[in-house]
Amino acid sequence: MPGELSRAAAIVGAAEANEIGYPEIPKTSLQLHIEAIKNVSDQTGIPISAIDGIFSAGWSSQIAEHLGLHPRYIDTTSVGGCSFEMHVHHALAAIHAGIIDVALVTHGEAGWSARANHGRGTGRPRGMGDPWDPGSQFSAPYGISGAPSNYSHAMTRHNHRFGTTPEDFAHIAVVTRQWATLNPRAIMHSRETHPQGGPITVEEVQTSRLVSWPLTLLHCCLVTDYGGAVLVTKPEIARSVKTKPVWIAGAGENMSHSNMLEMGDFTATSAAASSATAYKMAGMGPEDMEMAMIYDSFTVTAGITAEMLGLAPRGEGFTLWKDGHAAPGGRLPINTNGGGLSFNHSGMYGMQLLVEAYRQLSGTAEDGGYSGLPGKQTKARSCVVNGTGGSLSTTGTLVLVSD
Amino acid sequence: MTGARGIRSVTVAYPQFADSARRGVPCVSAPFRRRQSLAYNKPIPEPDPLSRPFWDGAKAGKLMLPRCTDCNRVHWYPRWICPFCHSRNIEWFEGSGEGRIHTFAVQHRAFGGWADEVPFVTAYIDINEGDRMFTVLRGVDPSKPETIQIGARVRVEFEPASEDVHIPFWRVI
Repeated sequence: MPGELSRAAAIVGAAEANEIGYPEIPKTSLQLHIEAIKNVSDQTGIPISAIDGIFSAGWSSQIAEHLGLHPRYIDTTSVGGCSFEMHVHHALAAIHAGIIDVALVTHGEAGWSARANHGRGTGRPRGMGDPWDPGSQFSAPYGISGAPSNYSHAMTRHNHRFGTTPEDFAHIAVVTRQWATLNPRAIMHSRETHPQGGPITVEEVQTSRLVSWPLTLLHCCLVTDYGGAVLVTKPEIARSVKTKPVWIAGAGENMSHSNMLEMGDFTATSAAASSATAYKMAGMGPEDMEMAMIYDSFTVTAGITAEMLGLAPRGEGFTLWKDGHAAPGGRLPINTNGGGLSFNHSGMYGMQLLVEAYRQLSGTAEDGGYSGLPGKQTKARSCVVNGTGGSLSTTGTLVLVSD
Repeated sequence: MTGARGIRSVTVAYPQFADSARRGVPCVSAPFRRRQSLAYNKPIPEPDPLSRPFWDGAKAGKLMLPRCTDCNRVHWYPRWICPFCHSRNIEWFEGSGEGRIHTFAVQHRAFGGWADEVPFVTAYIDINEGDRMFTVLRGVDPSKPETIQIGARVRVEFEPASEDVHIPFWRVI
């Protein structure tokens, strides 16, 4: 008997780049992608603008940006030559689930041209970080040096547009540190865990070393080690195991750009779109959220994201922290582990968000819970979790609820 | 010309590799390497086939921009396809070289050659033709960011980084 996904989707077109093999004029991998995409669009009559899911072996955010698309499903599975069969499998599931209507599975790899352009022995595939990448040509020459040097531009624009100040955002660092003092595993828990650990003030945040004005050091997250994992199962199993289930009520994803050059509004992220999808799936809204786990690579990331998630009006995200609502004992606890700012941030912080959300909603955040990790338990039964990637580029939102 | 394993190698003078062709350098065997001049110790962009008209223009003191001939919109950075209407009919034209500051930051930490220049002011520029470029601002005081105005008018200028590559910087006017 066929499975539920059987015939839930179909491949409707297939095309290649204009020249393949040994092109007369060497090509780039990006060019090969775009030629094939344009050709399959022409072949099927499906406009590129109708594509709402992108699947590629690592290129998806760059391809979507190049096409000016904001896809609702972004897959970069890259596990070798079989990746594309897997992409079709993943697209089938996403279409069956009603998340997307049109999936683009794309590949471009200048295996020959890379050698032709750069000499033998340098035939690496051209991809992100390549000297021909737009960012390498049009951002890197200007001394940009990682996340802080980019995100600072968003703070400046937010201050300009809404009349906010860096001091307003400093409250996010101060309140997040309060949570860290309740989590013995947080780097900044106390003077015993770090020489600069323990409670901090707005003045201390503002007078710490300038990294990228208007961001001082204490507006920026930590750089640490981390390992984490979660298990997701079907309801029958979730009901039968000894741990408490935390239900995925809603999920959504989106992106606005890859390189900050393409960030249209420096005071907004695609979390508005990804959370709209997640809230709709959940049949819930921001008013139903009893806590939030918000990626806080920088204070400005958390402040803007709170606005995007509908937890505060535009321009006023920081007030959740400044007015104490996000603090221990407040009406909407945010980043109860101490956040990327004061708990732990390993470069990609999305797993830390998930682990803390599970611990809070399963009621196991306190000492002695079967999670085995100490912390501060809140009363929340629902949580919006939002991860932000790149340079305020990509977002994934989950609405999680307990029984 | 046939090389090892019967693979056809190519030594034609590609338009985008005109400089290497002029020197008689075969494109297959010679790496298209970055040339770092002694005077300029910061990253030098490496033009690619798509962006070559921009860098050729920069060397001649012109801000060349890509424009879709179907929807007439200007996009930045250079694309293989128009990001607005998905046409592949794209032309290059000379822009006004003027714009306004969209947002900025003052970099107090940098790496490589830029480390010697801190603090310096980076900015996103809304170009008059309608998209946005990134730059290091000239004509501003990094120690007084409060004196730098979002919306201030700027004009492009080109600084030679190597014999072939001149980099656009924007100056407050």
